[in-house]
Amino acid sequence: MDLTPRTSEPSKKPRKWLPIVLLSLVGVGGIVIVTQFLTSAIDYYCNVDEIGVRSGCEESTRLRVQGTVEQNSLQKTGSKTSFVMTFNDKSINVVYSGDPGGVFQECISVVAHGRMIDGTFESNRIEVKHSNEYAEKNADRIESSGSAACSQAQG
Amino acid sequence: MSQVLQRTSATGTRATRVIGATSILVMAWVVVSGLLLTPQDVVQGESVRIMYVHVPSAWIAYLAFIFTAVASASWLISKKHSMGFDRFAGASAEVGVMFMAITLVTGSLWGRLTWGEFWQWDPRLTTTAFLFVTYIGYLAVRRLEGSVEQRARRSAVVAMLAVLEIPLVHFSVVLWRSLHQGATVLNPNGDVKMDDLMLFTLFSGVVGFTLVFIWLVLHRQRTMLLVDLANNQGLDSAIVARRAEGSAN
Repeated sequence: MDLTPRTSEPSKKPRKWLPIVLLSLVGVGGIVIVTQFLTSAIDYYCNVDEIGVRSGCEESTRLRVQGTVEQNSLQKTGSKTSFVMTFNDKSINVVYSGDPGGVFQECISVVAHGRMIDGTFESNRIEVKHSNEYAEKNADRIESSGSAACSQAQG
Repeated sequence: MSQVLQRTSATGTRATRVIGATSILVMAWVVVSGLLLTPQDVVQGESVRIMYVHVPSAWIAYLAFIFTAVASASWLISKKHSMGFDRFAGASAEVGVMFMAITLVTGSLWGRLTWGEFWQWDPRLTTTAFLFVTYIGYLAVRRLEGSVEQRARRSAVVAMLAVLEIPLVHFSVVLWRSLHQGATVLNPNGDVKMDDLMLFTLFSGVVGFTLVFIWLVLHRQRTMLLVDLANNQGLDSAIVARRAEGSAN
């Protein structure tokens, strides 16, 4: 056994570049997959103007459709709620079996789940899609903000 | 070793007491302002008050996971491989998972009140759930069999990969169509549309939750240190006992 003292510094190990390169490639690959390929699969809804136009928004399938509840279109008849949903100047009539929950009201964005049957969207689930704006509630502002929201949605 | 253990048997210091007391004061303000002083939202009404817990807890969870990744990278890069980095990484992840759980629960309650649903598999909710599960996995990796160095190395790699999910979660509402609303404060336009007192209370919540996070992480990493010291002490005792057996024979 060689027990003579070492005279030189132990050689430095070369940096392991392969794992770093592999990790970078995985990262880049992940970003490409997420941004390029998954978008069409992950989008939660079709907009009203995309029904029958965009891939995945075919009238023959069950859809989740997003749009704004048009002002003065909301009607409740028995157990049914009907309203007009608009997006990008395209509108559809929606009939919902039941009373929508959440903060459902006119001039608000909603996502309706259902099917197009004879030109009417028959929905069995409504979700309210609230905006990222927060304002104080007071009597004067309710009216003005409601009108503003509707004119914005319709314009 | 036992002397070291005795000296460090308390996890509180003057600094942690100051942080703890300050966080209590800030959180008390957030509770009073969030429940009593801030107005109802014009659309969401009273349910908007959940925001003062939901949003700060989400941000602090992100912060915790980023902190875990930074501490993990520091452990990997540093020549000494100081176990302090590993303990900070582990402590931060544990606290982050707790804040993420608060985010999911409060978000679910808020969703029921506004959307009408407790849960939907939309992009934001799905990626957030995935992030939560990933860090549960990270904590599981930390409890695998092996030495403290093995624990540190494995978990550091997982932490550095897992943190890449955070941009995906945050930008999921921009990349895809989501039921979840877009960012109000950290939006790309920089135009914050929120009542002033609501915004101030929200930021107070962020400050308060940050102080709570720091306080919890400091205490948790010190309890981890005590556990490591106790384990080492047990190992030393076992070695001494085996040596005594050997010399007796």
